[in-house]
Amino acid sequence: MNVTIHWERSWKDEFITRMERDGPWANWELYELAREAAEALAIPQFDGLQAPKHLPHMTILPHQYEVARQVVEEMNGKAILADEVGLGKTIEAGLILKEYMIRGLVKKALILVPASLVSQWVQELNEKFFIPAVAQKKSYVWEQCDVVVSSIDTAKKSPHREIIYEQAYDIVIIDEAHKLKNNKTKNYEFVQGLKKKFCLLLTATPIQNRVEEIFHLVSLLKPGHLGNAEQFQKRYGKLRTLHDDAHLKELIRKVMIRHRRHDTGIEWTKRHVETVFIDFSEAERNVYEAIQQLKRAQPLFSDASLSHITLLREICSSKEALFCTLKGMLERQPDIEATIGTLLQKMNDITEHTKAKKALELIQKINDKVIVFTEYRATQLYLQWFFKQHGISSVPFRGGFKRSKKDWMKELFQHRAQVLIATEAGGEGINLQFCNHVINYDLPWNPMRLEQRIGRVHRLGQTKDVNIYNFVVRHTVEEHVFMLLYEKIRLFERVVGELDDILMKLTSPSFSNHVERIIAQSKSEGELKIKMQNVLEILTNMEDSAHAAT
Amino acid sequence: MQQHDIQSFLERFFAATHCPVLERSDGHIRVQLTVDMDKQLMNRPFYWHYVERIGASGEPLQLSLITKQSTREKGEYIHFGSPRLHQIFSVAKMNGRFVRLYERVSGRSVALHPWLHVNVLISYECDRKQDRLLSLAIHLISGTIVEAFYDVLKEKKWTATVPDYCFTISPLIKPIHGLARLEAYIERIIASETHEWANEARARWEEDLALLQHFYEGVEEKREEYESEKEALRQRYEPNIHISIINGGLFYLEAK
Repeated sequence: MNVTIHWERSWKDEFITRMERDGPWANWELYELAREAAEALAIPQFDGLQAPKHLPHMTILPHQYEVARQVVEEMNGKAILADEVGLGKTIEAGLILKEYMIRGLVKKALILVPASLVSQWVQELNEKFFIPAVAQKKSYVWEQCDVVVSSIDTAKKSPHREIIYEQAYDIVIIDEAHKLKNNKTKNYEFVQGLKKKFCLLLTATPIQNRVEEIFHLVSLLKPGHLGNAEQFQKRYGKLRTLHDDAHLKELIRKVMIRHRRHDTGIEWTKRHVETVFIDFSEAERNVYEAIQQLKRAQPLFSDASLSHITLLREICSSKEALFCTLKGMLERQPDIEATIGTLLQKMNDITEHTKAKKALELIQKINDKVIVFTEYRATQLYLQWFFKQHGISSVPFRGGFKRSKKDWMKELFQHRAQVLIATEAGGEGINLQFCNHVINYDLPWNPMRLEQRIGRVHRLGQTKDVNIYNFVVRHTVEEHVFMLLYEKIRLFERVVGELDDILMKLTSPSFSNHVERIIAQSKSEGELKIKMQNVLEILTNMEDSAHAAT
Repeated sequence: MQQHDIQSFLERFFAATHCPVLERSDGHIRVQLTVDMDKQLMNRPFYWHYVERIGASGEPLQLSLITKQSTREKGEYIHFGSPRLHQIFSVAKMNGRFVRLYERVSGRSVALHPWLHVNVLISYECDRKQDRLLSLAIHLISGTIVEAFYDVLKEKKWTATVPDYCFTISPLIKPIHGLARLEAYIERIIASETHEWANEARARWEEDLALLQHFYEGVEEKREEYESEKEALRQRYEPNIHISIINGGLFYLEAK
């Protein structure tokens, strides 16, 4: 036999002392309890998960169990968890962490997540998994706490970096790991240098552009698993998808698990999408036209075209939203007072918003919980007031709320109020499966944000079909964006997540800017249509390759 | 141990540590801690330090524990994996480590023979883990070693002092030597096993090592990451067996 045996002999030494001193001795009951406690803590076999039977309050879905089992038993605790958005990667990671802790294989864990998700991770690990995770706030936490959650940006900086490198981690978990696809970045280098026994990388989009991105992710887990970088580039650099090479696919299967929604066997409820077209009242139309006139009249603003678009979008939401921006502009440039003055006068003629009235009607008709999303805080406040005038109770929700306030608002919405008015969906938002009506009061120009909005209600746990109402003001910038962007890629008809690969690319600020520029700079409707058509074509191509890649 | 076993475990634990149960229902107990248990469970060293400094008696806390979420009582929810249960497990293990017990024999005069008994935990560890519990005893007169002796002990009643009319026979083998014989016996058991698990772990280790080396092929100076990855692989896969004694002690039994 060639396995080293390590004796832990503290019992023996203490026993000798007690013999000499004639005690103290325990009673039989404690002797028995000690043995039972040891039995309860023992791991009976190498295979099978212990954690689920010790988390009786949680519903662990079959695909989540399967991911955790595979990672523990077959992948030796080094894996890329690449399920589609919304299938519960956090649950899977928590389950794996818990399993290793119950088995006594993990004591010290480092969890690196985006800064905005730190508190949510801490909360979930504590409440769902009873893992005493701590958010890194002081530098002594690295050394003194066993399970630490931090943002990678904090961790990689001095003096944290040096302290972290001193620690031997049993497991490192990295959320949103697609940010590590480039091996030339500081983040990548930092993660590579960590001492880690097990490692989990969480991402819904393991490949965004090129097959070689996966090389760098895999190399973090298992250096050399895919050969060296040069060879890899030579052999696979030209591949567009993983399907092109069976050997490569097989190798990757050893380190990556990906479930798509349709392989989970979970029945997803449907999305019903309705577009609600709105015609401006005369007063509203006058203001809109006046803003358009401004563009031609004089170069009011430092970057004329962009601010101009902003104003147009705002009046489609509410005059309150527009007013806030105008006020700000006036403070910065007092000389434009005359121009803005006429605009303000025209705005005075608007007594009621057609869009708001429509929303009210719809909410009254639905007669059930409704979430209203708007891009503007001023609109949020206005709507709250407006609904209140008509006897409809609502609660506000903003991305900037503290966790406790978010939870409180969710409680209020669930039990007291009919409407929740939110300005920011955000990945870190709340989950509102108990509601199945969403009004997009105005549309974000970044479809990923829209997906996140809908994702608040259309996720695991939603039992009813989800109804989405998109408000679009006819003959305005809103209609252009809607028709050209949302209609063409038929975003609303898809199940959540199916588009995640392509949508991730749209999150870059350059995309929204690009669309804004097209609208601002096009001199005619015709030009605008052609330009938007180009964007759509690029999107469609990206979508095809994203589908082929998985 | 499953969820429904936890309540009875807790009740027995508090009985054994002399903490009176104040309220009990299905899924809930409330107990009055003793000073000693308060110190071990409630993590308030400053309070006890202060109380002892000023010479006051101090008031131990009560603990309300819930083992079924359906109960309406208020308290801490205890389940497997909750820190409180792990704490109670470790307190139980700590407090029940050493015994010297005599078989309860009534009304007869018998000789009680000394046995050294230990509960041993053997952990087979590589990138996975499996535990095995052994219960072994050695007769300190003849040197006979008996496996699964715990089952014998469980059937008997025990007392902390020699029962009336009984007498004990002094060990011929010193307990410490008896322990050495048990240790050797355990190592023989382990040596007789096939350890397929270790071979499998080594094979996985080799595979990963080969991949690692391949990655650094042709690199003149092996980089720091190479060494630290290699060390990480060793820590992960290297098969090791850890043995510790959970508890044990001297048992005086009526000779059969």
